[in-house]
Amino acid sequence: MSPAIELHRVSKRYWKLEERAMLLRSVLPFARPRRSAIYAVRDLDLTLGQGQTVGIIGRNGAGKTTLLRLMAGVTQPTEGVVRIAGRVAPLISVGVGFHQEMSGRENVYVNGMLLGLSAKEVRRRFDEIVAFAELEDFIDTPVKFYSSGMFMRLGFSVAVHADPSVLLVDEVLAVGDMSFQAKCLERMRTLQSEGTSIVLVSHIMSAIRLICPRVCVLQDGKLLFDGDPEAAIGEYYKVLSAPDETGLPGAPITVMARTLLGVEGDRYYVEPDGEVEIVTRVRFEQPVEDPHVKFQILTEGGLLVSTTQSVLRRPWRRFEPGDEVDVRVRFRARFAGGSYRLVTIVTGANVDDHLVRDEGPVLYVEPRVGTWGIVDPVATIEVDGEDRTWNESLMLQGRDATDSPG
Amino acid sequence: MQSLWDHRAVLWILARKDFQVRYKRASLGVLWAVAVPLLQAAVLAVVFSRIVRVPTRVPYGPFVFAGTVAWSYFAGVAGTSVSAIVDGASLTDKVWFPRAILAIVPCIANLVGFGISVVALLVIAPLLGSAVTPWLLVLLPASALLFVFTVALALVLSALDVYFRDVKYLTGAALLVWMYATPVVYPQSALRGLGRWLDLNPVTGIADLFHLAVLGPFEAWHRAVLVTVVTTVALLVAGIEAHRRLDRLFVDLL
Repeated sequence: MSPAIELHRVSKRYWKLEERAMLLRSVLPFARPRRSAIYAVRDLDLTLGQGQTVGIIGRNGAGKTTLLRLMAGVTQPTEGVVRIAGRVAPLISVGVGFHQEMSGRENVYVNGMLLGLSAKEVRRRFDEIVAFAELEDFIDTPVKFYSSGMFMRLGFSVAVHADPSVLLVDEVLAVGDMSFQAKCLERMRTLQSEGTSIVLVSHIMSAIRLICPRVCVLQDGKLLFDGDPEAAIGEYYKVLSAPDETGLPGAPITVMARTLLGVEGDRYYVEPDGEVEIVTRVRFEQPVEDPHVKFQILTEGGLLVSTTQSVLRRPWRRFEPGDEVDVRVRFRARFAGGSYRLVTIVTGANVDDHLVRDEGPVLYVEPRVGTWGIVDPVATIEVDGEDRTWNESLMLQGRDATDSPG
Repeated sequence: MQSLWDHRAVLWILARKDFQVRYKRASLGVLWAVAVPLLQAAVLAVVFSRIVRVPTRVPYGPFVFAGTVAWSYFAGVAGTSVSAIVDGASLTDKVWFPRAILAIVPCIANLVGFGISVVALLVIAPLLGSAVTPWLLVLLPASALLFVFTVALALVLSALDVYFRDVKYLTGAALLVWMYATPVVYPQSALRGLGRWLDLNPVTGIADLFHLAVLGPFEAWHRAVLVTVVTTVALLVAGIEAHRRLDRLFVDLL
């Protein structure tokens, strides 16, 4: 069987204009606007067999969306060959191609037909599509009044009901609420078992691990890693944690080294509620009187989870240029599954005077089934005396149910 | 071309939506599609026959009306389809279909208003003093030529607009001037010697055919029609070729 998607030595070059193109200037050869080349995807080989699923992860700007666009056929590679078998692959992402003035109902028809269904097929699946998107009450409202979540739900629903042979999913999970996210994942698993190939781009590692038996890491348009999801996620965190260009010349404090203890290997995994220790070695380049330390935890989306401030008691002591000390922070990872960025800040005597801000490593907390969000309070659910907490064994039963077709 | 045909269902539904959306929020709905060209024709007829007093050998009412019907369709489509690909960007960067469809959608959607206008023309022109003759059948090839010419121009302009956003405004400005360079409100004969130059304008041939249908043949109309046909073929080839080559590169510029 031929592969569902085949990319052979594919590059995509964009011209970044230094100036705005204007009709007159482009026609006059001597006045052509200056431009410089940017490779969004470079010399990339990727083959996806039919019915297989691959996850794509990477930093922002690594070329993930360009890759999906190439697969969807909406853009052409500058070099190389892209081959796609089967029905047009719809690219699902935030703000699917909807017509603002038209109602949800009309958009379902237009979108369904764009995805290759006939009007009759759309009609037959219409109720199912609307029910899945949970938009029964709003289906005759013009979509310009929809929230971004409603938009995404409808777009996703149409796409998964269009029987694509390849489903390209770009970051949609970031928009919907948690329950819809779970529903999307469930639906993707059903499609997988029915033989649909899926390419999933996401920053949500729990989703990647749940759906993808194979994961590619993109970095600067190149394929950094292709294979086992655990190893791939590890690679991804290494990329994310690569020491930034800290220690600008003239900075009062420089970060010399950073170690993370209590985590699994160099992938920065930690069990829920596991104890973590982060040691940042800093060197004072200027004399600093009574420094303070702030330790922050942020979600991947940049949401501040917590700030911990060292004691505000002065006078304390003075550090001289050349002094090297360890800043040691210990905490427990009482987070829901996901990744968290650890930031260590050293301030002067005034706590708003940041002398160094170390965008430290990204910590990956193992997801616990049935719990999501930011904090994990280790909640249990009991109904009429019976324990109804979702745990691993129940999850496996659910998996069996979706995997056996019919 | 093949993929255009494969996506005809998409073209059809988009055109229908385009039409519906346009008049959806207006209580008079589709009536506006007819009312506007009618009103325009009436205003022009009054201004140019009573106030400016253009010398014509033919009944002026049917003349203006016939010209305006053709011109309204052409100008209406050209004005919207020029930016169709740019405006439709959100539709095309998710799933591929030929972008040319976006440019053709207004050509189809406006046919409804055009069709009703032609019917109105058939009813009103005799009331204003034109004779009902077999020449009226010329309206069919005339409409076909108008449609193909408009599609061809829409393909070329929409592709250009992706690269140079000035084209949209340039088209708007050009249409203003263009109307007066076309025998819509006055016959070519009114310009005496200069009138011949209007034959180089491809829309002249179309307007001539509409006039001919309503008022019967007049001298030297073939020349302008020939120019129109040649221009149409040239534009069509250029438009199809441009879309064939650039279609999948458009998205990078949107």
